[in-house]
Amino acid sequence: MTMCAMASYTLPLAERRTAPAASLPAGPSPELPEGILLRNALWFCRLRWLVLGLFAGFGLLGLAPGLLARAGLRPPGAWPFIAAAVLLAANVLALAHARGAARHLAAASTNLWAQIINDLVVLTYVVHHVGSLETAVGFAYLFHIVLSCIFFPRRWSFLVTMLACGLYLGCVALEEAGSLAQAGIYANAALREQMDLLPGVRLAHVGWAPFTWIVVWYLAAHLSAEVQSRDRELAETNRRLLAAQEERRQHMLRTTHELKAPFSAIHANVQLLTKGHCGELPAEAHAVLGRISTRCRRLANEIQEMLQLANLASATEEPPPKPVLDLSQIMRWCLAQVAPRAEERQVTFDADLQPAPVPVVEDHAKMLFGNLVSNAVTYSHPGGHVAVAVTPEPDGGACATVADQGIGIAPAKLPRIFEPYYRADEAVRHNRESTGLGLAIVRQVADTDGLRVGVESEPGVGTRFTVQFPGSDPNPVAEGKEDRHGLSPARG
Amino acid sequence: MAYLLLVDDDEDFAAAAAKVLRGAGHEVHVALDTDSAVESMQQRRPDLAILDVMFPESSSAGFDLARQIRQDIKALRDVPLLMLTAVNSRFPLGFSSKDIDEHWLPVDDFLEKPVDLDLLCARVGDLLARAASQRPPRK
Repeated sequence: MTMCAMASYTLPLAERRTAPAASLPAGPSPELPEGILLRNALWFCRLRWLVLGLFAGFGLLGLAPGLLARAGLRPPGAWPFIAAAVLLAANVLALAHARGAARHLAAASTNLWAQIINDLVVLTYVVHHVGSLETAVGFAYLFHIVLSCIFFPRRWSFLVTMLACGLYLGCVALEEAGSLAQAGIYANAALREQMDLLPGVRLAHVGWAPFTWIVVWYLAAHLSAEVQSRDRELAETNRRLLAAQEERRQHMLRTTHELKAPFSAIHANVQLLTKGHCGELPAEAHAVLGRISTRCRRLANEIQEMLQLANLASATEEPPPKPVLDLSQIMRWCLAQVAPRAEERQVTFDADLQPAPVPVVEDHAKMLFGNLVSNAVTYSHPGGHVAVAVTPEPDGGACATVADQGIGIAPAKLPRIFEPYYRADEAVRHNRESTGLGLAIVRQVADTDGLRVGVESEPGVGTRFTVQFPGSDPNPVAEGKEDRHGLSPARG
Repeated sequence: MAYLLLVDDDEDFAAAAAKVLRGAGHEVHVALDTDSAVESMQQRRPDLAILDVMFPESSSAGFDLARQIRQDIKALRDVPLLMLTAVNSRFPLGFSSKDIDEHWLPVDDFLEKPVDLDLLCARVGDLLARAASQRPPRK
């Protein structure tokens, strides 16, 4: 086939279907699921490596003679290393606990609280050594307060805030009482002495930090609660939408299946007459039965395609296995199925089928190839050729093409041909019998099995479909998945 | 000639299928619901049972009946079962795989509705021949 001005379109790859992400449960005071808690605990650990590095770095700078003094700072001595060592030990323990047997809410919660308490104690130790009053280091407590507002329910974050306030005020009180030796990183000790002059200034200084923390906690907790509430609403809306969509699919599946019952009876009774089980019939009666039989066959095809489409859209929870099969054999089987119709329409096949073993769902591949080959025959002109090829790809995958010399598709219509029941005007004029579901099935198979489908076409010249099969299964079946008994009300 | 039990709630379909099967030389009893099918089988063991899946009482009553025959009624355990449905393990049509797993639902064959009646006769013949070859010889 020579195609000079071919338009092309490639089906976008469907997003991989996964289970919905864990979301916050509904309720006024939600308890966090252990999965989220554990994730947060691991994230805290990663963040702590950074803090640990900063302490160790500052301690090493202090070892360089005169370096910090030139910046007006006192060499810190051992405290940054002690803080780093405590954080290191805490991190190792927390990681071991989180990755080990910690799979219960209580264990995850204990892990997180142990980390928070340890962090706040280490921070208080650092605050004391950096300078609780003469520096702004006390505001580092805000990191913990804001993070706790984001990740925890309101009462938990309030506890963290109170713990921070208590530790800070306790540290300052011990310093004031002389129980803790005066410390600080500033080389000039006069800074602190100046603040000691006026009790009001000192009080304001001590009180300002906890006051700020409580205000920040209130604001952050309030905003965070709003965001969490919206998250829950969105998750609930999404769940309802998915459930409604699934219900609609199941309803369609049942309705279509129900349609088969009366049709089966009609079909069976027509067979009784046409096959002579009720005696000989006049020629005219045979002609009438022939027409009934033809319409029955068309209806059967339509019902079959609707069932296939509904089934493909619905069966996502338990993906079928993908054994490695030779695509050329499957294509050969499909050609044999369509051969009588091709002969009827005087269309010939030109097949170049090379062995191409790929992981594939056999029934899906048969549906896909069957529809593409059947379409190629249907939209070919009498006497036309349909070129079919299956070739292995160097990456272990395979490529299948089905090309006809038929009526072609206008470029503007290419993106719409995979929509259910869409039929271009020229396609309807050429063949009134098609259901308009064949290419929707092709798209559904491509979506379900992660295949790339492309189409090139030119009106009056022909159409070529290309299907790329990956060498490995993009959606492997999860092992050990439990099946449910009975009809599945919510799949997908 | 064999004694066949055809279990299908669609009287029109059942009558047509029974006529063709009788024409092929078999004796056919039609049961329009699963309860009367069990009753009939307990009174006289069929050589083969042809089961529909969906019944007014349940969407999977045919599956339940197949399990009952295989697991609960000792005398009927080895009756060949032919299921009339488009549903099978590779094409589950919204059924859970546990409903249609070959090991859990050990029917002998599936035939898709609408059924070609000649194919039905041929498939029944095959299953009866297979069952006869597996049966221990009478002393």
